[in-house]
Amino acid sequence: MSPDGSRSGGDAARVGIGGPVGSGKTALLEQLIPRFIGRGTNIAVVTNDLVTQEDAERIRRSGLIAPERVMAVETGACPHTAIREDPTLNIQAADLLEDRFRPLDLVLIESGGDNLASTFSLDLVDYWMFVIDVAGGDDIPRKRGLGILQSDLLVINKTDLAPYVRVDLQRMVAEAKEVRGGRPILLTNCATGEGVDAVVQQLSRDVLFD
Amino acid sequence: MLRLERILGYASDAGMAGPLHALEHGGKVERILLSGDDMLRHRLHVVTDRGTECAVALPRKEKLGNGAVLLLEPERAILVQLERQQWLTLETDDPASALKIAYFAGNMHWPVRFEENRLRIALGGPEQHYLDRLAHLLQDGKVRRVRDA
Ligand SMILES: Nc1nc2c(ncn2[C@@H]2O[C@H](COP(=O)(O)OP(=O)(O)O)[C@@H](O)[C@H]2O)c(=O)[nH]1
Ligand SMILES: [Mg+2]
Repeated sequence: MSPDGSRSGGDAARVGIGGPVGSGKTALLEQLIPRFIGRGTNIAVVTNDLVTQEDAERIRRSGLIAPERVMAVETGACPHTAIREDPTLNIQAADLLEDRFRPLDLVLIESGGDNLASTFSLDLVDYWMFVIDVAGGDDIPRKRGLGILQSDLLVINKTDLAPYVRVDLQRMVAEAKEVRGGRPILLTNCATGEGVDAVVQQLSRDVLFD
Repeated sequence: MLRLERILGYASDAGMAGPLHALEHGGKVERILLSGDDMLRHRLHVVTDRGTECAVALPRKEKLGNGAVLLLEPERAILVQLERQQWLTLETDDPASALKIAYFAGNMHWPVRFEENRLRIALGGPEQHYLDRLAHLLQDGKVRRVRDA
């Protein structure tokens, strides 16, 4: 905030959360929401699901955020289309939330769960992270999906599971670093919240500027 | 960190050219070099070519473009400049190979240009990543890589 109380840029930052189904995107949202609210960031959330509003309902019921600040986009068959080729529905949802709850600082947009090649349109978001999980295997970064290569922030979640799935976390991180050419990578355990503060700091530094 | 929240005009605007020209002589024009992709963003944490750290936060209805002026002061101006796009150029005279390589590039969602018997791929990362992906199509020698095309 500037001294006169007006917010930087006037419009809310829009941040995408992509990644394969089950990697922990909604769990990360559930960890991020109370942290942002706690530091005074005015937020709203858009979720994407195939034909239901499962994730939106889960977040509305969580009690972490006012339910009316959570909007669901139903993507139909192809979740990546709604965040890349034709993000109209998501842009409308973000616009609506921004009008309703102005002045918003941040709209978080969870994608519907895609494959490793999915990316966000920069018409829709200013910045996007890609969440993969340790249990998916330590060869995932080596496979060089576009999400892993191009995301602004790579989050490797479920670090607690490494010993159970015989994954060498050090190697996974080293290989991710190699293919990402210096762009940030953070490790989280969204079951406990470990590592999530660093995600908040990264977003603050890169897009919120507060 | 310097906040830049508006596009004041473009370097080519009649009213901009004069003041920018004067500042340029004193070495007081700083440039933010952006890729075509980054140009689409409304929020950027960047460093100018003279080392000034900037937080760009534009209204959503404004769009950055080459030459957008974000700061104009008596002693300093900051403008945005499009980075030169790097291309990987492939050439073939074999129709079957041409079909395969174009299909593959489309599947990868790579932005391309067609020029006669050449396919130009706009690079969005290290060239080696692309060559690795294309290795199976390059190995029989029917598709050639053209340098400095
Ligand atoms: N052990 C463990 N489980 C997690 C973690 N993050 C998420 N989960 C679980 O993984 C499952 C999928 O998470 P969810 O957030 O729904 O994934 P999404 O499909 O990417 O949104 C759920 O059962 C979560 O409780 C983590 O860091 N550690
Ligand atoms: Mg989810």
